Formats: sequence, C-alpha cells, structure tokens
Amino acid sequence: MKTSPVKLWRRQKDTISVLGKTGKILLWTIIRVPAKSFVDQAPYPVVIVKMDGGQKMVGQLVDFTKENLVVGQKVQAVLRRLKTEGNEDAIYYHVKFKPL
Amino acid sequence: MKINILGTATTKFGELWDTSPRELAREAMANALKASGLRASQIDALFVGNMLSGILGNQTNLASLIAEELGSTSQVPAFRIEGACASGGLALHNAINSLNAGKYKTVLVIGVEKMTDHSQEEITSALSAAGSDEERMSGLTFPGIYALMAKAYMQEYNVSEEALAAVSVKNHYHGSFNPKAQFQSLITIGDVMRSAKVADPLKLLDCSPVSDGASAVVITSDVSIKHKNPVSIIASEVATDTLGLYNRKSFTSLSAVVTACQKAYAATGLKPTDIDVAEIHDCFSISEAIAVEDLGFAKRGEGARDIENGKMTLFKGKIITNPSGGLKACGHPVGATGIKQIVEITEHLRGTAGKRQVKGAKIGLTHNVGGSGAVAAIHILKGSTI
Repeated sequence: MKTSPVKLWRRQKDTISVLGKTGKILLWTIIRVPAKSFVDQAPYPVVIVKMDGGQKMVGQLVDFTKENLVVGQKVQAVLRRLKTEGNEDAIYYHVKFKPL
Repeated sequence: MKINILGTATTKFGELWDTSPRELAREAMANALKASGLRASQIDALFVGNMLSGILGNQTNLASLIAEELGSTSQVPAFRIEGACASGGLALHNAINSLNAGKYKTVLVIGVEKMTDHSQEEITSALSAAGSDEERMSGLTFPGIYALMAKAYMQEYNVSEEALAAVSVKNHYHGSFNPKAQFQSLITIGDVMRSAKVADPLKLLDCSPVSDGASAVVITSDVSIKHKNPVSIIASEVATDTLGLYNRKSFTSLSAVVTACQKAYAATGLKPTDIDVAEIHDCFSISEAIAVEDLGFAKRGEGARDIENGKMTLFKGKIITNPSGGLKACGHPVGATGIKQIVEITEHLRGTAGKRQVKGAKIGLTHNVGGSGAVAAIHILKGSTI
C-alpha cells in the first residue's frame, strides 16, 4: 500500500531523534520471504537492538558481514532509503542499523 | 449463565481454488444449523470472525454479506469481528457476551477466510497489517517476528532446531487422521530441517500454510433447546499486549495468553492438569512450544522437548495438543482458525472425533492468538459426561 507523504513528514522528528545513537544486538533473523515492498532487498537481516539508553528498537541491519550477525554486536542508527516505492510515491527514508 | 454448543461444522481446509468465500460460509453455516436441528430463523444473531476480506477481497461489510447466505428471512443482526489471527476466538467471545447480557439466546458464530487467491508477497503484506508500524518498517514479517522468538527461546533454554521441528512432525501425524486437514501426510524431522529457510531459524515446514476455509458453531443459552450430547463453554477470556514484540520484557512468553488463561482457570477452578485436550495456535512450531508453557502444560523451557518426547501426541500423551493437526497440518485460514478449534474440541468431548479421538476427553481448551501475541482468546469447554 502507498505510504502517505504526510505520514512520512509527521515521523521525521522521531527518526531524527535516534540517528547516530548506538546499542547492541539482542536478537537477529534473516528475512528470506519478505513483504511486497521489500522484495528486491531480500534476503536481509532484521535485528532487535538494546540502545545504550535502555530502550529497545527494531530495524534492518545494513553494511554488514556475516561476522556481525551475533548477539552483542555494537550497532549505530543510520538513515537509509527504506523500501521500493511506486513511480510517483514519496521516497521513504528511515532508521536502519550498521555495525560498529 | 450456561452456554451450550449445539451444532458445529467445518469445511475442508486447503487450497480451495474453485470455492468462493460466500460458498465456504454457506456450507459451514448450513451444516452447523443442520447439526443443531435448528432452522435459520431460530438464529437471533450472527457473529463473523474474519481478518483479510477488506485488504484482500476489498469487502469490509462482510457481516451483511455472510448474513445473506444464512438463509434467514428475519434480517438477522450480524457483526464482523476482527482481531488478526484471533478473529474467530474474538467473534466467539463477543457472541458469548451477547448471550450473557441476555440480548440474544441462540447465535451462530462463523470464522471464514479466503487466502489462496493471492500471491505469497501479497499475503505476507496483508498479514503484516496485524503488526506494529515499527516492525513493518523494519522489513519484519510474521515468520520473522516468530523467528526472533525462536532465537530467544533456543538461546535461553538451549533448545535445538530439531526439537522445534518435532512440533510440526507431531501435528502432521495428527493431521493424517483428519479428513478435513489441508495436509494429511507424515513428515520427518529431516524433512523439516531440509525445507527452505523462511526467516532463520524457521524453515518452511515450521510454518503454518496459507489456506481457505470456514468453520461455524451454533451456541445457545436457551435451556429448552436440548442436545443429546451437549458440550458447554465454561470460560471465555480475552487479553491484549503491545502490538509489537520488540519492546516487550520477554521474548519467550506471550503475556496476553498467560493473563487470559489464568482468568479462565480462575473462572472454572480448573488447573492445567485438568485439561485432556487442547487446540493450540501453532502458527509456527515455536508458537506451540511457548504456548504449552504459557498454558501451564509444560515447565518453562521444556515445551519443545516435551512435545519431542511425545508427551502431547495422540494415543500416548497425557494432555493431547492439536489433535486436528493444528494450524500447521489442518491449515490456517486465519479468521476461521479460532472457530475450527472449538469445532475440534467439541468433537472430542462428544466422543465423535473418529480415528483421532482423545479417549475419555472431558475438558478441552482452545488457544487462539492474534499478531505476535497482541491479542489472545482462551476458551474452556466441558463435555456432558461429568
């Protein structure tokens, strides 16, 4: 389904507030059968991260090697293009995690 | 208030390409009415459990559509209830509430889902409508969310992938005795281990299938309507939890299930060991392992191993789980599942389950979960023999 550009705009401040923050991988999996808008990224890892502030977050792991897929791996929140949009949709950027 | 189950019915579950959702509903309702010995005009209200008709079928006014198929001329009140994969259980809970309130006396509850008209990616996207925004935006799918639970469970309790695979093997064995099941073939641990990975560590044969099907029950509070072999619903409880898994305290227990089942045990004075047979929401192998622990059938960390050791298998276990084959082998038309569980338990308590009969079953439980444990519906049923 299309994501409303207004929804993207509304979420910006939440997204900006976590960029650059770090944490550690609590759990990971590799998605091999994705939803439609993620098809061209599959397979890709998704991690639950315990941030240094204590809260938990969930996101894709990017710029990784196999060795990074371990519990306890230190990661940082970065801004990335989220998924594949339709031709005339707003491009959606969102938080993903990269290993440190 | 005493609530009795009159007639029950379920269609075949599976890839029913030549059958429309309308036809599925018509068949299930007609057979449930027939089994009740009632006419359509004796139904005071209709409750419909369904998740995906809006997203996949572009039809959100489903209750009226299904009411057309009941064959009643009395403009029956009809309600569509949605709670992801627990839609069936929630529909039944709401139906029971309406009886307890005294508004209606005899109602029909149907769960129906039509899924196989659509591609795997479309189904995966549609089902993710039950998830949290954060998890959807991370590219997580439902198999992915349960894969994270499986990882946490395996790490915390040192459980092998093979022990999880044993859940699917048991449920296929049970499904082999159920003519309505989508899969009636036996599988081995090796088959599960060799099947394609969906979301590590879950493989294709750890996952319930995409299915079509409908199940229906007629329930009544009218004591003047007799049934020669009555079954009563003695507890109906629902609880919720956070929509997403990621920010919960525990990844190896579903607190909505724990809360709902503790309320159900408290309402009936029953203990987990009093349950003879249970239908469990095994959308994935890990789900049943966690469920039998949350329901108190197994100790923490022992659920998968107990299932692997045959403690919940037909003809040898003490508490038999998923005699229908569960979601894994019987199939998982999501809105129908919660009602199919009631149909199955009723058969066992009446002693009419055929080859898969749990001998001497007196008390049964159903465990229906929506999302990754965001909602749970627990029902306890009692046969007439005690």
